Amino acid sequence: MSLSFLHPALLWGLAAAALPLAIHLFYRRRPRSVPFPALDFVMQARRETERRLKLRRVLLYAARTALLAAAALAIARPRLSTPEARAAAGPAGPAATAIVLDTSASMAYRLGGRTLLDRAREDVAEVLASLGPDEPATLVVCGSEAAPVADPPGFDRLALRRVLADAAQGLAHSDLTTCVTAAVRALGDPAAAATPRRRLVVATDLTASAWRLDAPAPVVPMPGGAQRPDVSLLDAARGEPLGNRWVSGLVADPEPAAGSHGYRIGVTVNGEGMTAERDVPLTLRVGAGKEERTALRSLLELPASGSTRKALAHDFGAGGPAVVSVALPPDALPEDDALTVVVDVPRDVKVLVVNGAPSAILHRDAAYFLEAALAGPASPVRPTVVDAEGFGKARLADFDVVMLLDVRAPGPKAAELSAFVENGGGLFVAMGDDVDPDRWESEVKGLLPAPLHVVKTAAERGTPGAEGKAARFAEIDWDHPALRVFTGQAREGLESVRTWRYMLLKPGAKDGGARVLARYDDGATALVEARRGRGRVMLFASTLDPEWSDWTIRTSFLPAMQRIAAWLAGSLDERRSAPGLVGAPRPLTLPAGLALAAVVGPDGRERREVAVRGEAGKGAVPVVTPDRPGLWQVKVRDLATGGERIDPALAFAAWPDPRESDTRRLEPSELTAWFGGEALARVASDGKPGGSHQVPLWSWLLLLAVAAFLVEGLLLG
Amino acid sequence: MTEAGKRLLDPAVLARLAGLRLRVRATAEGVLSGLHRSPHHGQSVEFSEHKEYAPGDELRHVDWKAYGKFDKYYVKRFEQETNLRAWLVVDASGSMGYRGSDDRLTKLGYACTLAGTLAHLLVRQQDAAGLAVFSGKVTNALTPRAEPSQVNAILETLEALQAGGETRVEAAVQFLAERARRRSLVMVFSDLLDRDERVLRLVADLRRRRHEVTVFHLLDPAEIDFPFDDPTLFLSMEDTRSVEARGRDVRKGYLELLGSWLDEVRRVCGESDVEYVRVRTDQALDEVLVPFLARRERSAA
Repeated sequence: MSLSFLHPALLWGLAAAALPLAIHLFYRRRPRSVPFPALDFVMQARRETERRLKLRRVLLYAARTALLAAAALAIARPRLSTPEARAAAGPAGPAATAIVLDTSASMAYRLGGRTLLDRAREDVAEVLASLGPDEPATLVVCGSEAAPVADPPGFDRLALRRVLADAAQGLAHSDLTTCVTAAVRALGDPAAAATPRRRLVVATDLTASAWRLDAPAPVVPMPGGAQRPDVSLLDAARGEPLGNRWVSGLVADPEPAAGSHGYRIGVTVNGEGMTAERDVPLTLRVGAGKEERTALRSLLELPASGSTRKALAHDFGAGGPAVVSVALPPDALPEDDALTVVVDVPRDVKVLVVNGAPSAILHRDAAYFLEAALAGPASPVRPTVVDAEGFGKARLADFDVVMLLDVRAPGPKAAELSAFVENGGGLFVAMGDDVDPDRWESEVKGLLPAPLHVVKTAAERGTPGAEGKAARFAEIDWDHPALRVFTGQAREGLESVRTWRYMLLKPGAKDGGARVLARYDDGATALVEARRGRGRVMLFASTLDPEWSDWTIRTSFLPAMQRIAAWLAGSLDERRSAPGLVGAPRPLTLPAGLALAAVVGPDGRERREVAVRGEAGKGAVPVVTPDRPGLWQVKVRDLATGGERIDPALAFAAWPDPRESDTRRLEPSELTAWFGGEALARVASDGKPGGSHQVPLWSWLLLLAVAAFLVEGLLLG
Repeated sequence: MTEAGKRLLDPAVLARLAGLRLRVRATAEGVLSGLHRSPHHGQSVEFSEHKEYAPGDELRHVDWKAYGKFDKYYVKRFEQETNLRAWLVVDASGSMGYRGSDDRLTKLGYACTLAGTLAHLLVRQQDAAGLAVFSGKVTNALTPRAEPSQVNAILETLEALQAGGETRVEAAVQFLAERARRRSLVMVFSDLLDRDERVLRLVADLRRRRHEVTVFHLLDPAEIDFPFDDPTLFLSMEDTRSVEARGRDVRKGYLELLGSWLDEVRRVCGESDVEYVRVRTDQALDEVLVPFLARRERSAA
């Protein structure tokens, strides 16, 4: 331990300690000579009292000297510190102090009935109270991924206390490395140049996920070079381990076995530092708001640490957006004990399949394979197969999609067909021997993505070498929503399709909006789509029976047809992105004719002030940054009627950041090493930045001065 | 006593009187004036014999104790005391030259005034008065005589005294042992600051030699009160010793030592049947002499 002084210049006051002796010497008088008869008595009295008087005189001088020296030392504000800390602290004197308050989600952890943030806030308040009048300070609240605001250190304590009081519990992840770096950089501001020392105080829970120790440690940019600050890490957890258990994953996949709208709900639960438990209840709830209900209760067996999975099955009963949440019993950090997802349960897609070339031989029937593909048990598609005559009687408005297979031409249904598409219906057209390109062109001009031209034969089926000469798909648009499911080896099922004959298409209009999904290896268009009005039209240049192509027997046929039907019906558009994390901005794409009215958070509170990305009127997109986990619903306003309603299709879920759920704590030595070693940094498990690091002695010195004053009074008395 | 007489007996007034003779006369007159007021105005006579009462004898001389024993009236017959011898022993050592204030007499001056006054009174009633002055040794001596010229001789001797030398009471005791063979009244005027610890025993020896001994212990008020505060270099008045001390620091110890010494002196004198009279030199002389003489008269009666 060594001694340091906050105001070393005031040590000149120690010279006052010599005053008693100086006064004694200065005012010492020459003794007056007096003849006196009873000299023996005087001598004897002096002899007897000499030792006591000498001791009293020494004590008196000592008391006076101690009084003055103690007062002078107390004014210089001495502190005891380790040699390393003293060396690290640089020159003695007041310190410019940057305080970082961690308000991330993990600070909501409850210990002893109080959150860690409550404790950290108290710790910071004590630090503010302990600052000297000549010590500037700044406070950085670190509770989100956003760039932290670090003002230059100042002397407005009231403003700092206001910032501290306003620092609310965040539920997002915070990067303390970034916050600390910003805070330390602020210490290099010229406003604090007159202060000799730099100090950083971090009030946090020491969770490892908040720190990036692979980044360089922060340094204060000073005119004379970078300087490392003196660091105090105030442990809000007071050294206690923070065990936690949280729902880390929730996925919902269609499960035909569970019903026509059945889903398999996969739940992953993680734990750290907990005791193993059996029969922990897990609750599955569906719906939102007043319609929310408990759908299922299950039991989990949870290990002390690590993860466990549980699969639950649920039939939603109907298509459309559905809210699913799972919850564990609340623990010390209840914010991460539940997860919510919004599932788009596929709606039934009604498809009218028009078979233009029916055949008694099933495998030669143009619609046989397509019907089989669309009517699978897990398929949301409900096909209705009719022949050309039935097509004429059919009411197209009763269907979502019309699929025309080897139909010569729409004939009398051409106008209805065009109107059907314009109003949002889907149209799929496959070729065949009966298709008449000229009639198609004359009857529904401009409806198809590209005009039909002539049939091309790549190879005669059954002839030698025909297999090798057959055309194959090339240049497939794998990113198209209808084909996106083909990944990896699954693409082989599409690439291996052989086509002997196909319809060549004329080049379409440049502004026709056609999008080619696949071409044959000779460059001819194989699959093309275009948007017409509010509907979509897709054209396949070959047949959906084995006559011109063997696609029907390939593994890619069934999923491709189901997804094409869904795509044309518009249900794939409802696929929503995965749940976002708390604190992560989420742009909202609103359907035409609707405007954002408000966002309703999991707490039921409406938020009408929503940030907007981009310029108003030029594709501006509202951006919601969820500040808590749970279901977020969007209230839209109909621009035509002005009415407001919750649009379930726009609802989304926000998940707590899993990094905040991982409450494993850093070893103090890891963190102090990062800051430059124990000479510079220390972790205060008692929440006090002083502790054994530096012991203020001025109060004891003042006590000593008072004691010396009393002793002097006693001696004089 | 008149107010003027009282003032004359004030040491402060006496100190302003130039000569000893004046002081003695003033004191003697004041003391005589005081004695006249005393109911014990006796005579310096000694009892001689009894005779049977006869008309014409003074009734106050009837011995009532003898009447109680013998049932007859006897009258005391007195004889003029012609052989009372008094030795006035004056300490003239250096310490006797001290006075704590200029408006007071030195201890020696006070002692001489006392001794001169007593000599005057003794000779006046036809007693023999002698003088012995001592310091380290007996420096002056006058054999007791009852002649009026003896007073002048004594006063001349006292007037010429200068304080000096060490105190050696033993010298005076030895002198008296040799010269005062008859039973005498010995009056010692001294501060008793003799470095010889036997000083009190020596005085007591005089009593054992059947002398009536009275010690006038003279002390200056400064010796009794020790009014020193500041650092002071105290110088011996009889040798070259000195000691430096802060008055306020040693006062308590000094007063304790002085007090116990004075108690010891009074106790030893009492045990030795030596009359002890402590005299402060700021004390009016009649306050010293009148009670003393009154006690003498009572004891004579």
